[in-house]
Amino acid sequence: MKTRVPFREGLFEEKGGKGALLGARCRSCGQVIFPPAEACPNCRGKDLETVRLGNKGKLYTYTIVHMKAEHFAPPYAVGWIELPEGVRVFSQVRGWQEQPLETGMDMALSFEKLWEEGDREAIGYVFRPAGKGGA
Amino acid sequence: MRDVVVIGVGMTRFGKFLERGMPDLGREAVWNAIGDAGIPPRDIRIAYVANALGYQLTELKGTIGQHVLAAAGFFGIPIVNVENACSSGSTALRGACLEVASGNCDVALALGVEKLFCEDTARSALAMASGTPYAKFGFMFPALYAMSLKKWMDRYGVTQRHFARVAAKNSHNGSLNPNAQFRKALTVGEILASRVIAYPLTLYMCSTMGDGAAAAIVATRDAAKRYTSKPLIEVAACELVSGTVNFPGTPHVPLETRAARLAYEKAGIGPEDINVAEVHDGMAPAEMLIYEELGLCREGEAARLVDEEMTAITGSIPVNPSGGLTAKGHPVGATGLAQVAEIVWQLRGEAGPRQVKDPKVGLTENAGGWVIDDNAACAVTILKR
Repeated sequence: MKTRVPFREGLFEEKGGKGALLGARCRSCGQVIFPPAEACPNCRGKDLETVRLGNKGKLYTYTIVHMKAEHFAPPYAVGWIELPEGVRVFSQVRGWQEQPLETGMDMALSFEKLWEEGDREAIGYVFRPAGKGGA
Repeated sequence: MRDVVVIGVGMTRFGKFLERGMPDLGREAVWNAIGDAGIPPRDIRIAYVANALGYQLTELKGTIGQHVLAAAGFFGIPIVNVENACSSGSTALRGACLEVASGNCDVALALGVEKLFCEDTARSALAMASGTPYAKFGFMFPALYAMSLKKWMDRYGVTQRHFARVAAKNSHNGSLNPNAQFRKALTVGEILASRVIAYPLTLYMCSTMGDGAAAAIVATRDAAKRYTSKPLIEVAACELVSGTVNFPGTPHVPLETRAARLAYEKAGIGPEDINVAEVHDGMAPAEMLIYEELGLCREGEAARLVDEEMTAITGSIPVNPSGGLTAKGHPVGATGLAQVAEIVWQLRGEAGPRQVKDPKVGLTENAGGWVIDDNAACAVTILKR
């Protein structure tokens, strides 16, 4: 059994495939950002609170990549997903072989294995087409 | 502030030179620029040296400018090392211009040098992806370009064929340029038939790895007249901006537009006054977005510029007569200064078979890196004869 570790710390909370992306909300101007940061890129305020972001969004744009990446064998899909909180998240997009991607389509967040390194599994967020009526 | 003019430019050919190190490449570009300016090397009093990935890919791990310029015989003078990813070269030029404009010195050098090819191509590719902290997550430049191009195609009815036509134009221009890495003119058909990298990008639309160096020597007008009888090329503006965060629902002004507006204002001109431009086409189709971002045409009109071949060497607003990044090559730190060299040659009428008809004002746009959802840096330079 491999140890599950987040591919990067501080970006999400996850347990057994369920969880949420962690953003930050600026207490001065209300802007929500992802990834979270210590300073607001909108007003430069320093008073930010951590917020859990919603797990549904819309596909803003995407591409199918046929170029090798360190951890992904081609072809794989990536996209920017726009969340209702007013942030865009770059993500791996899965399930595109079953359901062709279209700009503007509903997407659902899930947490899955991204790659393996030795005895560790790197877990990260991915988005999948939400399907008719939402997944 | 004093007026600044370019008195000499020089570059190496761009390409794959496994046997040549950065000191060797840098020396060739610097000596070419010195020869072009007709200046005694001792009269150069300050140097800015741009390099992006040398510390990762070569044996030089710091003070790269001092190591490279030592090979060209430079010791003792202030040497400033500059790293701003793909826009490092223009950032170095800006530093050299400010030294001259402010009165710190009368003559300064800007050099950009890069060596991306090493024995292990995979290591080079990894270093090039290191500009973003999410590279491991598949966050790589071709994919980022592909996604913004996809969005733009959907909005304005631009087709993949338009992109291939831009790449073919630049490939043709590169075939006329003895300094270009790729000198075979590719057809629209060959470009569309090449391997897909990330739709809508195919292999021949993308820039690749390269080695090379480029340099410019800048001076005050008074000093310039002591050295050269060639037309003096004024640096009317050399403006630098960093990226901003693109919040959905709020208007986002691209950093290319912000840099260009600052440059036009400083130079006291508008985009309609530009006669020739060298722009940062890391992927050839991105050149079309840049037409609009720089104001060379109105929003949504880029496809018409391509359809009517207005940006060809013989068109009304020639763009990338050198072949641009995809054909001339993109040795990251050298790119901005190679763009400047091309515009200087064009404005002097020295560009040979790729000469644009009698240009008076030229522009370079040089963007690089990535932070969150925008390029890290962008410089726009305006040069006037």
